[in-house]
Amino acid sequence: MTCTRHALRSGLLVASLLLAGCASPHPSTPQDPYESFNRSMYAFNDKADRWVIKPAAQGYRAITPGPFRTAVSNFFDNFKDVYSAANNLLQAEPEKAVNDIMRVALNSTFGLFGLIDIATPAGLKNNKTSLGDTFAHWGWKNSNYLVLPFFGPSTVRDGLGLGVSLGINGPEHLVYHNSNEAIAFYGMYGVNTRARYLDFDDSLATAAIDPYTYLRDGFLQLRARQLGLPNPTQSDDVNIDELVNAPSTASAPAGEAAPPAVDGSHPEASAAAHAAASAAQ
Amino acid sequence: MTDTMKKLIATFLVMLGLSAHSLAATDNPVEQVRETSRQIMDVLKQENGKNTKQVRQQVEALAVPQFDFQRMTALAVGLGWRQASPAQQSALAQQFQNLLVRTYSSTMTRFKNAQIDIQPNATMGNSGREATVKSSVSLPGNDKGPVAVDYTLYKTPQGWKVFNVSVEGASLVTVYRNQFNQEINKNGVDGLIKMLQDKNAAIPASK
Repeated sequence: MTCTRHALRSGLLVASLLLAGCASPHPSTPQDPYESFNRSMYAFNDKADRWVIKPAAQGYRAITPGPFRTAVSNFFDNFKDVYSAANNLLQAEPEKAVNDIMRVALNSTFGLFGLIDIATPAGLKNNKTSLGDTFAHWGWKNSNYLVLPFFGPSTVRDGLGLGVSLGINGPEHLVYHNSNEAIAFYGMYGVNTRARYLDFDDSLATAAIDPYTYLRDGFLQLRARQLGLPNPTQSDDVNIDELVNAPSTASAPAGEAAPPAVDGSHPEASAAAHAAASAAQ
Repeated sequence: MTDTMKKLIATFLVMLGLSAHSLAATDNPVEQVRETSRQIMDVLKQENGKNTKQVRQQVEALAVPQFDFQRMTALAVGLGWRQASPAQQSALAQQFQNLLVRTYSSTMTRFKNAQIDIQPNATMGNSGREATVKSSVSLPGNDKGPVAVDYTLYKTPQGWKVFNVSVEGASLVTVYRNQFNQEINKNGVDGLIKMLQDKNAAIPASK
């Protein structure tokens, strides 16, 4: 276990050095200064998924019944509730922390070591929170995008939170006792989780122009909403009425056209557009 | 995977199936969303593995008229929209519509057992000409709880039209903005049109 933790710590250190090394001074997307690092990590995850994780998940799904996989999910969720309780305490949310502790107590006993989630039907809400949320709660609101190995889209804040949570001596050490068992534990978690999303692989490929950017922007919007922050991926506040109603500035092939001046900040202009639009109706 | 990652994926799942939601024309945006959802779910429930193609076509016929793809595309492109000539704008809107319809129609049948709850009160904006209707979608067997889906509509002479859909706060429309602008900056508006055309041609037609 200590060796796992050492590996994690040195991993974090190496990652931060790498990040510092390749932070772009003028990122094309403000939230993604580590884009080159992130893209290579994305490519790594994609390869690992294609050659190892996805085939494993497909095989796993083929040989296990659905209720079995739900039980496995519940089992891992039960550990997360322990961390959630700790983080709710750190966020000064004692009621939610008690809720989480009750969930763990109920599910670990009557729920057969967490295999059955009886707490949710019993009315104990699943309000999981993480160390990343705790950091955000105490002021670390904006954080740059970071793709983690295996875990995928994250931020520097949430990745750090995850690294610390994985590194401390948590309750999962009741289950595994050496590195091999730890690998089996997290491998099972990964494969079981991956198996739930097998049907949706093609959809991302169909929807996205650039899957890296699609996932990044989707993730950042989602995460901002969870934390109650404004949408981080659009810094230019587009006024849709102006955009649609304004006559096109392009007469020449648009590739050569200079970008028009940004005047979304003119309230008079937008008011005038609204007035014109209402008059037309 | 983190929970956030799961949420994100759940997001994509839902958007794949349900942004094809449509709305029957009424004066009330909430009623319109509710009525169209009902109609679509009625059609989806008849899917039995053999009639998938017809079900998809019927759902598309219900859903597509509820959207304003021109406005949606403008929102997706952002400021670059003004660089495009009217002809380029309609070409973009057509290609974007094809992309979205193909994406969501291929997965919609996974949502035939979904439970959709529409919140009775819309959030009005823009002097009453814009409305955001909130809904929550639950899938049986998904223990992660319901997913929030928001529709933003605006009032046209032809009734309310949807031009934005968000799942758990992630817009299925503006998620394209950086991708589109990457291409516009590289190869111009025509480059983007061509790229979308190629992509749509590459996706096999849904069976």
